[in-house]
Amino acid sequence: MSTLVPSSQEPTTQVDKTPQDQPKALKNDNPSFVLHGVDNVKYEQRPVPEPQADQVLVEIAATGICGSDVHYLKHGSIGHFVLKEPMCLGHESSGVVVKLGPEAGRSGVSVGMRVALEPGVSCRSCGLCKAGTYELCPHMSFAATPPIIYGTLARYYLLPADLVHPIPSQVSFEDGAMMEPLSVGVHSVSTLGKCKTDQNVIVFGAGPVGLLCMAVAKALGARRVIAVDIQKERLDFAKSYVATDVFMPEARGKDEAADAYCSRMSDLILSSLNIPALGPGGIDLTIEATGAPSCVQMGIHVLKPSGTYVQVGMGSNMTLPVPLFDVITKQLNVTGSFRYGAGDYPLAISLVERGLVDLKPLVTQRYDFKDALEAFEMTRQGKDESGKPVIKCIIRPPP
Amino acid sequence: MLSNNNPSLVLHGIGDLRIEDRPTPSVSAHEALVAVTKTGICGSDVHYLKHARIGHYVMEEPMCLGHESAGTVVQVGAAVKGLKTGDRVAMEPGVGCGTCDLCREGRYELCPAMSFAATPPSTLGTLARYYALPSHLLHPLPDNVSFEDGAMMEPLSVGVHSVKTLGRCSTNEVVIVFGAGPIGLLCMAVAKALGARRVIAVDIMQEKLDFALGYAATDVFLPPAKLADEGLEAYAARAVDELSKKLAVPEVGPGGIQLAIEASGAPSCVHMGCLALSPGGRYVQVGMGAQSSVPVPLFHIISRELQILGSFRYGPGAYQLAISLVERGLVDVKPLITQRYAFLDSGAAFEATKLGRDVDGKTVIKCIIDGPLAE
Repeated sequence: MSTLVPSSQEPTTQVDKTPQDQPKALKNDNPSFVLHGVDNVKYEQRPVPEPQADQVLVEIAATGICGSDVHYLKHGSIGHFVLKEPMCLGHESSGVVVKLGPEAGRSGVSVGMRVALEPGVSCRSCGLCKAGTYELCPHMSFAATPPIIYGTLARYYLLPADLVHPIPSQVSFEDGAMMEPLSVGVHSVSTLGKCKTDQNVIVFGAGPVGLLCMAVAKALGARRVIAVDIQKERLDFAKSYVATDVFMPEARGKDEAADAYCSRMSDLILSSLNIPALGPGGIDLTIEATGAPSCVQMGIHVLKPSGTYVQVGMGSNMTLPVPLFDVITKQLNVTGSFRYGAGDYPLAISLVERGLVDLKPLVTQRYDFKDALEAFEMTRQGKDESGKPVIKCIIRPPP
Repeated sequence: MLSNNNPSLVLHGIGDLRIEDRPTPSVSAHEALVAVTKTGICGSDVHYLKHARIGHYVMEEPMCLGHESAGTVVQVGAAVKGLKTGDRVAMEPGVGCGTCDLCREGRYELCPAMSFAATPPSTLGTLARYYALPSHLLHPLPDNVSFEDGAMMEPLSVGVHSVKTLGRCSTNEVVIVFGAGPIGLLCMAVAKALGARRVIAVDIMQEKLDFALGYAATDVFLPPAKLADEGLEAYAARAVDELSKKLAVPEVGPGGIQLAIEASGAPSCVHMGCLALSPGGRYVQVGMGAQSSVPVPLFHIISRELQILGSFRYGPGAYQLAISLVERGLVDVKPLITQRYAFLDSGAAFEATKLGRDVDGKTVIKCIIDGPLAE
């Protein structure tokens, strides 16, 4: 292994703009970053897949790392998704279409097209898919999620043509890789949160997903975007990025009960930021992006009557206390948010294309393919070797 | 055991219906083959017989007719789960692509690549011995739902789509339905099943109104005759005025009409439907008339903030709800089946549907044709 110093330069091995009418010659190898078990990854050669039916073959240009990828590395499972056989990692990617399956032509996708990959293939024919909520399909095949053994930390990846979303030339490959988490933000804030212009939005958690949710809220015209986190560094970044206000809860008192603490913090959020409990200026939308029990409580306490609460953060607790009294008396609309669905990728791409969301500040480290494990380790630690915080690590493709 | 022929009712050109043998369809991994037991005839089938086209759907080659059917599964593809040989099913005859934006967002009825039975460019239809469909479009029939009921699920699903999915009809609403033909009647039945307080049927034929009142309508209205030099707008206003007075329907407030289902396509009904609605009301256009453009009272639509919706076929959940309403006895489709024909007498079924009466002079609401007899 070579020295693992992350470069802060844009990837130079992969051209950013591929001429549309010049098909890339296919390489005949497919180096892949494969998880064999807890803390056990190997670089392997896998067959170059052949696109069938309406599939397309994409040559990967950039891949981001997510907390879930790290979780599989460290635990071999997430909830009931359990690793049973070697699985290639990676699901946040962009690339270039290099080959079309026999029935992919009519989709409008062409060889040479630069695309963001939507890594979940649903069945298209169950009730949930047909009703427009394919993200909930019980037969979903999702990259780097058991039982699927394929992932995008490889040279090539196969997807149905409708799951590769064209990105215009002003959207870089790194931006393209960020479309996956940005679409999570779009799904939470826009599709489910129904954030509208002039609303006041609070986001708990200033990690990558929280920051992207804030960015979407701002892009949709939110009047105030309030970031809450327990790390000052993260709040400073959020404020420099898109947040209009920040709040850092103090530590819980030694003998303070959890409920009392959350109430006290909620009151402090409102009073210190001059936010009324109801009426104009009140909080219309809470995005909970931590999964932490105290944030769930605060998120519900601070909402105005009839407000909307979206739970996107998945913490370590499967079950946690919810202030139901508030939910009832304020008639809150509480909804869970999972991945992304119809229309989310196109909106994400549009927001970046039109300059309403800037993804570049969120790419904090870049690694070569051979140093992928380092990217995982730094993401887990939250800081790189030079002490710089990690928001999103991007891994370059195999040379 | 599949029969070795597939007698099919094929339209070769205007007025030219022939029964001929066609290859038995094979099924792909996710499809199933159905032996069709009962098929209903629709105005659109008759329209193809008379014109060989509907709007931009133009018949270019011989086409098997029929799309309102139920039958028995006789073969399943290798990847089919949950469906087996012998299952009794209602057949949803439109195959969307599943991957375009409209399919993905839950509006598969609008899929531009939709392949629909007995609709060009498809040359296949359900008036045959066998028909193949993706298994997810074959909806199981509970034991208490007959094959004839099953064939009625197609038009009933149109009613569900119009009244519930798009019309968002909810309990205690006052609903008006223009046109007491099969679609109008089924819309009335759905509105009633969803708990509408009043279901007002409007038609120009007293006979149809009498039937509607005995079927699902709570009130009926026969519009006055239009005067010779009376404009469309004035006539519609006069008719709605008369309706409001006769049926004690207020213009606004409790008791006002919240949902109008237009199932005739007649320009005067389009006007009346808009004028009859309370402010904020919903208007659903499902009836497809002879004119593709009709005048609408725009001032009224604006000032009352009416929601105007087009309704086309049926979408997610429609068949399931239709079957459930019949299974639970909330909708009874049996009174709408007025004539029955053997497969070899299909021509007579089309003739009767075209004329609106059978050879004995009995009114036609829905003709049902048997599948070809087993050999």
